[in-house]
Amino acid sequence: MSATSLLEVRDARKSFGGVHAVDGVSLSLAPGEVLAVLGHNGAGKSTLMQMLAGALPFDGGELWLNGRPVTFASPAASRAAGIETIHQKLALADNLDAVANLFLGRELRTRFGLLDDAAMRAAAVPLFARLNPNFRNLGDPVASLSGGQRQVVAIARALQFQARVLIMDEPCAALGPSETALVHDLIRRLRAEGVGILLVTHDMPDVFALSDRLMVMKNGRLVGVTQTAAVTEDEVLAMIIAGKAPATLG
Amino acid sequence: MSGATQRLAVMAAVLVAIATGFHLLTGSFLTAENLSNLVQQTAVVGIVASGMALVIVARQIDLAVGSLLGAVGVLMAWLQYTHGWGVPAALAAGLAFALVIGLCQGALSAVVGLPSFVVTLGGLVSLRGVAFLIADGKTQPISDPGLLALGGGMDGTLGEGWSWVAGLVLVAVCVGWQAAQRQAQRHAGLAPRSLAREALQASLTALGVLGAVAVFNAYRIEGQEQGQGLPLPLLVWGAVVLALSFVARHTRFGRYVYAIGGNPDAARLAGIPVRRVLIQLNLLLAALVALAAVVAMARLNAGTNSMGTGMELTVIAAAVIGGVSLAGGSGSVAGTVLGALIIQSIDSGLLLTDVGIGWRMVVLGQVLVAAVVFDRVVQR
Repeated sequence: MSATSLLEVRDARKSFGGVHAVDGVSLSLAPGEVLAVLGHNGAGKSTLMQMLAGALPFDGGELWLNGRPVTFASPAASRAAGIETIHQKLALADNLDAVANLFLGRELRTRFGLLDDAAMRAAAVPLFARLNPNFRNLGDPVASLSGGQRQVVAIARALQFQARVLIMDEPCAALGPSETALVHDLIRRLRAEGVGILLVTHDMPDVFALSDRLMVMKNGRLVGVTQTAAVTEDEVLAMIIAGKAPATLG
Repeated sequence: MSGATQRLAVMAAVLVAIATGFHLLTGSFLTAENLSNLVQQTAVVGIVASGMALVIVARQIDLAVGSLLGAVGVLMAWLQYTHGWGVPAALAAGLAFALVIGLCQGALSAVVGLPSFVVTLGGLVSLRGVAFLIADGKTQPISDPGLLALGGGMDGTLGEGWSWVAGLVLVAVCVGWQAAQRQAQRHAGLAPRSLAREALQASLTALGVLGAVAVFNAYRIEGQEQGQGLPLPLLVWGAVVLALSFVARHTRFGRYVYAIGGNPDAARLAGIPVRRVLIQLNLLLAALVALAAVVAMARLNAGTNSMGTGMELTVIAAAVIGGVSLAGGSGSVAGTVLGALIIQSIDSGLLLTDVGIGWRMVVLGQVLVAAVVFDRVVQR
């Protein structure tokens, strides 16, 4: 593997019953790189991402992180290793406020073992201010926040816990134009801080605005990987639909 | 005020309105004697309801609490009366029995994945049978004076002096906690609330607690030299509510209970040990049922196979009227106090105004429906 690789997947396999949901897929991700993951519904993207997030075990193949082979028994193990996942249905507890969601599962505690609300809030205030100066309602249940603000809460988790790899599943689905711009801005900022980002999306404008490289999957297999700047939107669509890499890609 | 605080304020106002209304009708509702009886009648349901609130918040339900209370109550009384066990050993055995049942029911729903409704519906029927089997349906009287005092009544109160001490200690703890919170906020670099607001909260606490002590001290039974003071069942109930409110608000366990109720998938993906939390919750409720069984047994002076019959529904109603959503994720332990008191006030008030059992049941059922309708309307 290359010296600069942050995350490397080699020959990953996963089947459900007789169906090969992920069939021998390999990929690598460098620090500060955005790799778009494309494909039809059922192409195996979400399964692959869940394997990386520790939510599904590998049936075969290897996962390397910072040059070391790793296996994750649970989502918590993946998070502890620095892989943060933002699920499509934003994994937020809607009844809790932004601060509680930011620290969910990793609460700060006082020396008596109680929740350290003051410390959590003190850490959250500047973080949210940095991400979105308009974010003031830290004490409201996140159910009352807009889609963009909820996305900010999910992204804030990656920043607070210094994720090295961020997996984002359709981060801009169901967002308005200004909120999409906000999320794009956050993704660029995370990239500038050296975070490697796997961006699962159907949205071509997202792919071309954000990604450095893109990979296309079909029927659980990898169709091809290419520099985003080297292909046109039509060529990418052809890869997704026909499942064939264009001739220009060696 | 946050939404939850507003909800509590509304329920408190409803309770005051109900009490005032019955006082105008009967002339005897808002007397120290009646209020003392009222809280003693409510304590058993209140103790269980405070745990039920957290169970429902986590999207679970426990229909077996009434039958479990019966089985545990009979077991504890039977070990004392028929087998001559000492009080501590009998109570410990009752607690152990309740915890085993809680563990089994919790494991069936959290680990095996059966709906808690079904698991505990089975428990509701079977445990009532167990309550009958233990002592072959015979009533088991108890006689230990210390144990009987836990049921309240004439000899089950703190007396005037100790009631003031208990009240002052509680106020001191609350104000001390407020000061500690303030210190923590300043330490973390947050702007603390204004001193005026802190002072307002502290004075309201003091007024409420010491006012209650004054009321219970004003209840004097003929021939007694001083007032009765705080009934012991109220003391037990109050301690449970304070402890559970604290756990819900300030511990990781409490935070997880609410997170699981808000979004179980999010809780799992955030690395929360969902199964473990649900089993712990079952054990907590089982322990509270055992405690409530002690109080119920002491109030009855016996353990009988019918104790706690139908209680599960009163307990769930108290939680729901107190603002716990059956959809999970919202509600508070403190709310169940108001819910339980509202149910008992309506029941006692209608009794005092000579309304028959039929109409009492009709009214109580519709109060439950009205509380849920209220929540729906407010949510919109």
